[in-house]
Amino acid sequence: MKSRHLVVPALLAAALWPCLSCGRTQKPAAPAEQAFRFRLHEDPPTLDPALANDQFSEAIVLNVHRGLVELDPGTLEVRPAVAESYTISPDGRTYTFLLRDGVFFHNGRKVAPGDVVYSFERILRKETNSPRRFLLEPIEGATEFTEGKSPSIAGVSTPDDRTVVLRLSKPFAPFLPQLTMTNTAIVPREAYEDPRKGYLRAPVGCGPFRFSRWEQGNFIELLAFDRYYGGRPALDRVVVRMIENATSALQEYIAGGLDSLDETPDPGDTAMMAKVGSEIRKYPFIGTGYIGFNMAVAPFKGNAALRQAFNYAVDKEYLWNVLMPGGNRPANGIIPPGIPGHDPDLPGYPHDEAKARSLLAKAGFPSGKGLPPIALWVNTGEENRRIAEQVQSDLKKVGIEVSIREVDWAAYIAGVSGTRDKPGQAQMFRFGWYLDYPDADAILRPLLHSSNWGPAGNFGRYKNREVDAFIDQALDTADPKARADLYRRAERIAVMDDPPWIFLAYMESRTLYKPYVKGVVLSPLGEFRLPLDRLRIERGAT
Amino acid sequence: MPVLLAAAAIVWLFLFFLPGDPARLIAGGASADPDVLQSIREEWGLDRPAPAQFLHYLGMILRGDLGTSYVQKRPVSAIIADHFPATLILAVAAVILSAGGGLVLGSLAALYRGRMVDTVVLLLALLGTSLPVFWLGLILMLVFASFLGWLPVLGYGMNGAVLPFTSIRLPEWDHLVLPALTLALASMGAIARVARASLIETGTADFLQTARAKGASGARVFARHTLKNALIPIVTVIGLDFAGLLGGAVATEYVFAWPGLGKTIVRAIGLRDLPVVEGGVLFLTAIFVLVSLALDVAYLYIDPRVHYSRSA
Repeated sequence: MKSRHLVVPALLAAALWPCLSCGRTQKPAAPAEQAFRFRLHEDPPTLDPALANDQFSEAIVLNVHRGLVELDPGTLEVRPAVAESYTISPDGRTYTFLLRDGVFFHNGRKVAPGDVVYSFERILRKETNSPRRFLLEPIEGATEFTEGKSPSIAGVSTPDDRTVVLRLSKPFAPFLPQLTMTNTAIVPREAYEDPRKGYLRAPVGCGPFRFSRWEQGNFIELLAFDRYYGGRPALDRVVVRMIENATSALQEYIAGGLDSLDETPDPGDTAMMAKVGSEIRKYPFIGTGYIGFNMAVAPFKGNAALRQAFNYAVDKEYLWNVLMPGGNRPANGIIPPGIPGHDPDLPGYPHDEAKARSLLAKAGFPSGKGLPPIALWVNTGEENRRIAEQVQSDLKKVGIEVSIREVDWAAYIAGVSGTRDKPGQAQMFRFGWYLDYPDADAILRPLLHSSNWGPAGNFGRYKNREVDAFIDQALDTADPKARADLYRRAERIAVMDDPPWIFLAYMESRTLYKPYVKGVVLSPLGEFRLPLDRLRIERGAT
Repeated sequence: MPVLLAAAAIVWLFLFFLPGDPARLIAGGASADPDVLQSIREEWGLDRPAPAQFLHYLGMILRGDLGTSYVQKRPVSAIIADHFPATLILAVAAVILSAGGGLVLGSLAALYRGRMVDTVVLLLALLGTSLPVFWLGLILMLVFASFLGWLPVLGYGMNGAVLPFTSIRLPEWDHLVLPALTLALASMGAIARVARASLIETGTADFLQTARAKGASGARVFARHTLKNALIPIVTVIGLDFAGLLGGAVATEYVFAWPGLGKTIVRAIGLRDLPVVEGGVLFLTAIFVLVSLALDVAYLYIDPRVHYSRSA
């Protein structure tokens, strides 16, 4: 019973306990260690390359795994990776890859052509449910393999112990860029057929960093792989920290707990800009932001003039240069700069209220009269909300009343895409599209080709025969210049004659890097697709 | 058990009617291959009619199986086991701070009733209760971590000790201070006010006169008689506060990037990772029931007059 006398003092001590740790300072990293710490908003949903389908998963997969080819993050050119070299037959159907000698998996085993076959079969196998199965579907016999009609992929062969030959069912120009996607990474069978599925928590690849630890909601740790074929990376350790709240993450960056951060302060926040403004790196990246129209329902169905009126009514210059400066750039069209086929001379829709009004009248809704109630859908987020409110206000100036509906991502996707047969509820929706690989096909086909109608990506249910024809023709065209020209022509029709969207923004990345982080490539692939094998830490350097 | 089953049914129904298709998110969200979509629905049984899905879910729960996460593809029980220790540690630290602080402040206010100390305590209590936890957390972070540099800004740390015979890694202790303090300050006010009210009420009781008449010192009367007799409402508030913290410290976990269960469940709602939400909520309900039970048992210990009998 005596111990009860101690309750109050003990509680007092507990209450005062925080002060016991007063005087603490941030522990600096050991000077000898090359460690790089960056932030992801949340845990990657998966570290399995076959399933990775989001930027957080890719950020890790990209550094743990390697495929036959990869993209140069700076120039966006395809370059050999696990393959030492490759050749493409004159008919554009046969791709022959010569594997490097001396590529090792993190488990110590040497990579062999059989691993390529296994990895490709794994992606195509029905039970894997890979959302990126389409990347390998151009290979002859891929569909038959998925459907179980064939025990192997007819178009994949390994004539000797260093060669892999892929034969396509027909020429497919973006095939090589598609192979640069991290999903087609080469994985060792012994690790990925483990019945306990250890690879889900501890992936094994042949990339520059080997997986070390993953504490859910806390961090992922990667360590340099000594036997990486490209040479051991300069960084000894990479720590990926999960920090959801942007304000907290910025404080952590300032305190020195992060070496890089994808979140930059608002340019209007002078105090914060004074602290980190000089550490902001700004660079375009291959993405386009827009507001899509649902063209399967009234009032946008079959009414191009109305969609043009909406485009003229929205002041993109104000949106990106005044309201939300320092970020995206006003867009004229669909294909972002840096992608072959981007058309800098495309007129687009400069802000013009008079034109908007006259087109509105031409569309049958003078001064907006007769328009049904229109809802603009956005997924939850402050930036989305601000964009939507500005668009709403611009449209109101020419007589168009639009309400805003903000819902979470899952509800948004359901409301926007509908089902194959039934259009989504949303009449207008804000969207951003980041290209998976630097090819205009990666934006035009999924979003505007009628074969991808509905949930497959063409949410607005856009159908324009000419646009379809140009996109299809470009796929069969090997000459890069001719292809780019075809995409320009497709874009011109889709933008100027029959707009499926309000063309809002060409995206730009803004990332903070501490001055001691060297070897940063400001890649148009985006801040999360950052190859870490080039980075190094030079403390004391500026 | 009926409470748990009711909770399970309610959560399942809510999630079922929540717009958004889990298969869609797994298959890639923005552009999903219809074949892959169908195949995912088959894999997780999402293509079955609603009553069949519900019965299957109930059957699993009755067998003690919380299911497998759609996203992480591992048992929900493993996910809970990963995240609950962080939540528990934070809740325990917060409740120690808030109970200690609340009791001390409440006692001071009761002892100096109507004086300056009392007014200050009541004001602080009101402030603590009214300030949004999210805001309070950020302010504490800015002052103690960013400005003064005394404590880490956020996180759980990477190098805490591992509990013997388990795989549970404890936080680095300095990382625990700010989130625990945030939660503690938010609930300390309520505890202080209840403590004050209860102590004042008990302070007028006749048995205290008797104790003083017997020659007991002021401190002894306070600690052994007043405080002990005033404890029941205080313990109730502390207990419920603790139970709430075990499931509801989401805002604090968010601000301080604390890898707790609350944040994990909220995240799973966004991803429509239904088994994680269902399993997580069910687990937290069970914990809540257990804490309430523990509270009832604690009453027996604190107040011998309380007894539970079959006939009652």
